[in-house]
Amino acid sequence: MAALLDIKGLRKQFGGVTALAGVDLTVNEGEILGVVGPNGSGKTTLFNSVTGVHRPTAGTVSWRGRDITGIPANAVSRAGIAYTFQQAMAFPGLSVFENVQIATEHCSNTLTNRPWTTPASLLEFVGLSGLSGEKAGILPFGRLRLLGLALALATRPSLILLDEPAAGLNDRETTTLVHLVEQFPEHGISVCVIDHDMKLMQMLCRRLAVLDFGSKIADGPTADVLNDPKVLEVYLGGAL
Amino acid sequence: MPASHSFRSLLPVLILLVLLALVPLLSPSNRFVSLAISAGINVIALYGLSVLFGQTGILSMGHAALVGIGAYTAAILARDFNIGFWLSIPLAGIMAAIVAALIGIPSLRVSGHHFVIMTFAFGQLLAIILTNGGDYTGAASGLDVQQPVALFGLSIDVLTHYYLTVVFFVALSAIASWAIINSRYGRTLRAIRENEKLAASLGINVGRHKIGAFIVSGVFAGVSGVLLAYFLRHISPSQFSSFPSIYLALMVMIGGARLLLGPLAGGILVAFLPELLNLDPVQSRILYGVCLIAVILLLPNGLIAGIIAGWHKMFDRRAAQPSEPAVEREGK
Repeated sequence: MAALLDIKGLRKQFGGVTALAGVDLTVNEGEILGVVGPNGSGKTTLFNSVTGVHRPTAGTVSWRGRDITGIPANAVSRAGIAYTFQQAMAFPGLSVFENVQIATEHCSNTLTNRPWTTPASLLEFVGLSGLSGEKAGILPFGRLRLLGLALALATRPSLILLDEPAAGLNDRETTTLVHLVEQFPEHGISVCVIDHDMKLMQMLCRRLAVLDFGSKIADGPTADVLNDPKVLEVYLGGAL
Repeated sequence: MPASHSFRSLLPVLILLVLLALVPLLSPSNRFVSLAISAGINVIALYGLSVLFGQTGILSMGHAALVGIGAYTAAILARDFNIGFWLSIPLAGIMAAIVAALIGIPSLRVSGHHFVIMTFAFGQLLAIILTNGGDYTGAASGLDVQQPVALFGLSIDVLTHYYLTVVFFVALSAIASWAIINSRYGRTLRAIRENEKLAASLGINVGRHKIGAFIVSGVFAGVSGVLLAYFLRHISPSQFSSFPSIYLALMVMIGGARLLLGPLAGGILVAFLPELLNLDPVQSRILYGVCLIAVILLLPNGLIAGIIAGWHKMFDRRAAQPSEPAVEREGK
């Protein structure tokens, strides 16, 4: 497997606070990688530093061998990396259809072949076809997550970064989500997912990386990582 | 919004404008026509502000300065180059767009309230520059515009003819604004208004589009300025300082910035309300202040949106009910 995204020594300081203390992480083509860690361990900062929300203090981010460290968010999207946010996943005042329409209109990766190119096909894939005329702001939380997923897919990415995609979802909605995300690799989309929900992570990810206080403390096959005494100590407290 | 809906938003505006174009047949007083012309000139600038504020979510508190750029461009072109009304319209539009870019590029690096303050400062700055421009800008006393205005040899300087010209430009502005709202560009601006971070993550260059929206609103303001210069025949810096800017922002908020009828309603109301209620300038300022507070508190999307929402509440309650269970069913 070739490295798609290669993060080396990534640091992010907010004033005196070190959110990321030099993280190395590789996402390979075709995989679903999970990143776990306690609150404040730097997971979201890691995503934000890759996607142009924040500028990393030090370190490099390579995308298919090209240095993309610190490029702005819109350029990250055009390079083929999509990002779904923990909060504010959609444009609340616009209709569901208009939301996806905007995302497809700004997709510039027209060479990438994806099964969903039109707003209608995207909405059908995530199961929101019946709601296309509704305002996104009135959607229940689970639907909003799915809309956020459709927006990310509309950019025809090669990699999707999912920030706590199952937060606030009930079991049925989580199952729907897992079912969707599992299909991404076969369509040429690799996935890197952050979540607290270990059941979800076990379902989705063959490989897991663990962050603690801004450093990576484990990285490997899911089962091995979950049995790593270091991981059990800092994160799971032996709960699994 | 689906394409079939879009023309429905333009139609009432056009019908209203056709009706307004027929007003001279009722032989109204000169005072009435003059007020209507002033209102119309403001409405043109308001359509630009509605693209900026209503679609993109950026408020400018220095917009009268851009109207002033248009007016002074027209006056200087007429004086120094003998360029008349019709050619001044595009040239002043371009000039105001350039100035908007010059203001927008540094100002839009900051967002929200900071931008509002920056535009306010630029508005004040322009008034200072015009006042100290010596003979070139006519200093504090301003400039006269003497060029006659004609169309196909017919003089438009007659008050009612000028009124019809203004109505025509209001219609053009409304159509331009409508075309922007219903285009891919308009959707991009709304995306920025709704969620900047998400818009950027979808590949939208947020900064560039914000500056673009400010430039577009500048074109409307420039055109409005030419019409103002040729209507008043004399322009001076105080007409384009902070108070007129605040009035423009007030009008667009009272009428509502997101709907096509909003700028028209806001411009007409603010122009005619003091006249209808027979208020002196101090009283009318108090009234505007009260109106603004009331609108912000009670009708945050403006008067027109408030009326439409009220209408739906009263008459569509039964029609709205079945749609809710339909949403529920989807979930199973």
